[in-house]
Amino acid sequence: MAAADSPSTALRRRDLCSRGIRLAGKMRADVVDLLDTYVEQQGLDASATVAAMEGVPLAAVERWDEQTGTQRLLENLAAYRAFRTLLAQMLEEQREQLGEADAGLGRALAAVLLQVSAFTYHLEELLGLESRGIPGEEGDGPPPPPRLSLFEQKLRGLGVLRELAQWAVRSARDLRQLAKPSPATGTAPGLAESP
Amino acid sequence: DSHTQYERVGADVTMKCGSMDWDAAVTWTVNGTDIDESHLNGSYLILKNVGLSQSGQYSCYEGSSWHLKYQTYLRVGTPPKEPVLMCRSNNYPKGFYCSWHLPTPTYIPNTFNISVIHGTKDMVCEKDAVPKNRCHIRYLQLFSTVKYKVTLTVTNALGKNYTALTFDEFAIVKPDPPESVVAKPVPNNPRRLEVSWQNPSSWPDPESFPLKFFLRYRPLILDQWQHVELSDGTSHTITDAYAGKEYIIQVAAKDNDIGTWSDWSVAVHATPWTEEPKHLTTEAQITETTSASTSSFMAPPTTKICDKGAMVGSGAVAVCWTAGLVVAAYSVLFI
Repeated sequence: MAAADSPSTALRRRDLCSRGIRLAGKMRADVVDLLDTYVEQQGLDASATVAAMEGVPLAAVERWDEQTGTQRLLENLAAYRAFRTLLAQMLEEQREQLGEADAGLGRALAAVLLQVSAFTYHLEELLGLESRGIPGEEGDGPPPPPRLSLFEQKLRGLGVLRELAQWAVRSARDLRQLAKPSPATGTAPGLAESP
Repeated sequence: DSHTQYERVGADVTMKCGSMDWDAAVTWTVNGTDIDESHLNGSYLILKNVGLSQSGQYSCYEGSSWHLKYQTYLRVGTPPKEPVLMCRSNNYPKGFYCSWHLPTPTYIPNTFNISVIHGTKDMVCEKDAVPKNRCHIRYLQLFSTVKYKVTLTVTNALGKNYTALTFDEFAIVKPDPPESVVAKPVPNNPRRLEVSWQNPSSWPDPESFPLKFFLRYRPLILDQWQHVELSDGTSHTITDAYAGKEYIIQVAAKDNDIGTWSDWSVAVHATPWTEEPKHLTTEAQITETTSASTSSFMAPPTTKICDKGAMVGSGAVAVCWTAGLVVAAYSVLFI
């Protein structure tokens, strides 16, 4: 249970949320563009259904509106940490597959990876405003995947980017929920309770 | 016995008079009117190439006793064509609705059956009481990449047809148009119009799911619209309106992040503020006409016909000097 926020904490939270929302919006736009490029360069069918793959955080959530602020931050943090690792893997695979042949795709992937890292930082800062603290990263993130075929790698990459695009929308919504002032205590709704 | 019989338009229909023999003497009626014997083959009624107008109650009576031997309600119609199906979320993130209709009527009763699958999960689309051809679904999950598949089957006595839609959660989000659009002139500002509106009442949570808006406006006399996109707020001041011209204004809404634009709102009309013209006398009107420019816009607001300070003379004979000039000019005309 946390006491009511100090004005500076509330201000810092609001500032982090609004910057995070803008970053999530930019990230989503860039991921959507990257998806188009990726599908084309990898010779995939844009309408292909990709089954949920191990280690790729799914944005889909039930009872989203009932989540506490803490839940939102923790789920977001776990997801973006996983995306950071997955995108780094994709970048590595990209370099192995195509070398310098497609620097454009590599640059776009790297740019999105940077934004994911920046967003992760925002989430860690927001969690830091709570008395809970930030969960450690040891054991976090997806286990190293079994060696996938080239085609499986491409499909996985498609799945990663699609889920990331969904997450970017979800995160903006989550941060808007967090930024709402709570009428009674002055804290953001849900942050005062632990799940 | 009495029952209903459905036949296709253009079909040939043969009706037997219940268990009566072919050579029995019978009389057939349709909606109480005798049918000419030329349509009979023995006791069978033959209707060739039936049309919609031949729908009705057909009765067969035994010749002499006039006992009713058979009765049927013939309904002529067509099997259903492929139905038109539309799904939309105007209340995101609560859920979405699907509505449907047939492109052409069948003239006989139809049954619609809708199924919704999300991945492998069956979902229930609850039918609305009004309108009848609509059902709604509550989202159980949000932010899913798994697509929804909606299949609509229409069946009637003469056949069946179906259509299906596949879409993802974000693609069908389309708010209702903004409500309560109001446009007002701004006092002392001949080129401004203040426009305000409200979020559509069907949008459940504009704070967490904010809408952005698109405003379009034009003077009635022109065809080309001006457009403004607004990322927040529910008001806007137009600052480049043509003075004195009536404007038509509309607003549309879209979720900030996903989906498509709403339809345009109901149009509102407004004219920017103009200064009240002073009350004009006949002489003053002539002065105005002869001295005014040929501009089609309103006269400059500072024009005055008769200042108190321009009065000449006193008491009952006091006239202002401009009026005096006009009278003099008029007098010259009549010399």
